[in-house]
Amino acid sequence: MALLDRHKADRLGDALFKGAALFFAVSVLVLMGLIFIVLLAEAMPALRAFGLRFLYTAEWDPVRSVFGALPAIYGTIVSSVIALVIAVPISLGIAVFLTEMAPKPLAGPIGTAIELLAAIPSIIYGMWGLFILAPLLADHVEPFLNNWLGFIPFFRGAPLGIGMLPAGFILAVMIIPFISSVARDIFRMVPPILKESGYGVGATKWEVIHQVVLPYTRSGIIGAVVLGLGRALGETMAVTFLIGNSYDISSELFNPATSISASLANEFTEAVDPVHISSLVALGLILFVITFIVLAAAKLLIRKTVNGDAR
Amino acid sequence: MTAKITIKGLNFYYGPKQALRNINVRIGEREITALIGPSGCGKTTFLRCLNRMHDLYPGNRYEGEIILDDRNILEPGLDLIRLRSKVGIVFQKPTPFPMSISDNIAFGLKLGGMRNRRELASRVEAALRVSALWDETKDRLHDSALSLSGGQQQRLCIARAIAVEPEVILMDEPCSALDPVATAKIEDLMSDLKKNYTVVIVTHNMQQAARVSDHTGFFMMGEVMEFDRTQKIFTAPSNKLTEDYITGRFG
Repeated sequence: MALLDRHKADRLGDALFKGAALFFAVSVLVLMGLIFIVLLAEAMPALRAFGLRFLYTAEWDPVRSVFGALPAIYGTIVSSVIALVIAVPISLGIAVFLTEMAPKPLAGPIGTAIELLAAIPSIIYGMWGLFILAPLLADHVEPFLNNWLGFIPFFRGAPLGIGMLPAGFILAVMIIPFISSVARDIFRMVPPILKESGYGVGATKWEVIHQVVLPYTRSGIIGAVVLGLGRALGETMAVTFLIGNSYDISSELFNPATSISASLANEFTEAVDPVHISSLVALGLILFVITFIVLAAAKLLIRKTVNGDAR
Repeated sequence: MTAKITIKGLNFYYGPKQALRNINVRIGEREITALIGPSGCGKTTFLRCLNRMHDLYPGNRYEGEIILDDRNILEPGLDLIRLRSKVGIVFQKPTPFPMSISDNIAFGLKLGGMRNRRELASRVEAALRVSALWDETKDRLHDSALSLSGGQQQRLCIARAIAVEPEVILMDEPCSALDPVATAKIEDLMSDLKKNYTVVIVTHNMQQAARVSDHTGFFMMGEVMEFDRTQKIFTAPSNKLTEDYITGRFG
């Protein structure tokens, strides 16, 4: 009889524990749902006022109370793409070096240092970007790029050190730690005998990396890159410091631009017009949706590699 | 027997830990040499010395001589890429590359500089025929190698190894992940390979060693306890430890 009671008490404890754990887990989903609903509700006045035009018109004029999200969307996407173009090769290089080449006493410290880089607050990156990187870009890099690659429309514009390209630059610096540490973990999962099979038929290190390791890890690496992209899309402070905050859409990458998060950071505290506030929230909603899709895609791709399906 | 590989006084160290002690063995040309022994006895370590796979990892060290034909392959400055295209290897588990069946086989050939498509195709076919995989794969050469069954994948790996026309093929428990039918196919294949290649196989399966090999080496604690004709090892071993092991008294 006593034994039976104990079992009952145990079962009650288990049920309570299960309930509590379930509650916390579900609360994450609920929270996300609520954020979405609140964003949607608050964005409604703007969406009602401008309709779908909000997505593709380029005018953003708080004085006349006319708002179009295109410059911010454009800036968000372009600055993130620039960041990826710069960061992906560097990150993969770092990850390959750490997993395939670095002697052990070096791989550990470098790996840790890279993970620490990811922990630096983005405002620090922003200040560094503004005070160190921007003058450097303005005085040396942008004139150089314009001089040699100026025939490509991208490498033109006012070489201020503040603009789309500098924002992409700082984003690249910020996402390199992410992409390289995820890529390193993925490269580590390649079975040693697969690589040895490559060496076994007379491949060099480069050939094994390029023709065996990279194809084997392809979807995981894409996942890592998309993860970096997700971070770049939402990054706020550093971009706000460097992008120039101008609602112009220009193919010339030296020119100032804006991004969704930079617009929010700049204007939210000053906006009084309800339509202005609502438009800013609508921008937030757009960013929420973009980031959600991108991160979901990344998770899917990474899971595919972890499960061993390399295709 | 003509020796293809002569090992003299081989010691091997993983960092400070000695894994092989004073190995002296002659591997016969166009023969199958089986290496048996309890887990951790050094047989796989020994096998991986023969194409210097250990060099991929830092801290490993060899002493002694491994003479392949007339050349000591442990000498410094040896071209490992060329050594490994001469001494191929097949592992415990199938290791198809994530590419098509024919690309898997052509992999080593392309690395070797072969570009001519027709030549590549005929070499792919030849390798697949030798590994008895041609009939099963000829209609789907461009499918992913990962779509093959485990046994087929392992034969693909053997085909990939022989496509570059090595002289020696190392096999590290090639059947340990396979079912009996697939194992039988690989064993048949080994007997065929023997006509043209020198084969060294590590196996945990005593019957397999007895069935397929010409010579057998019994390893224990990093040493070769006995090395002799397979028939002799399995019928009249001269070392008590060998007898105990093959009769299943330990290991």
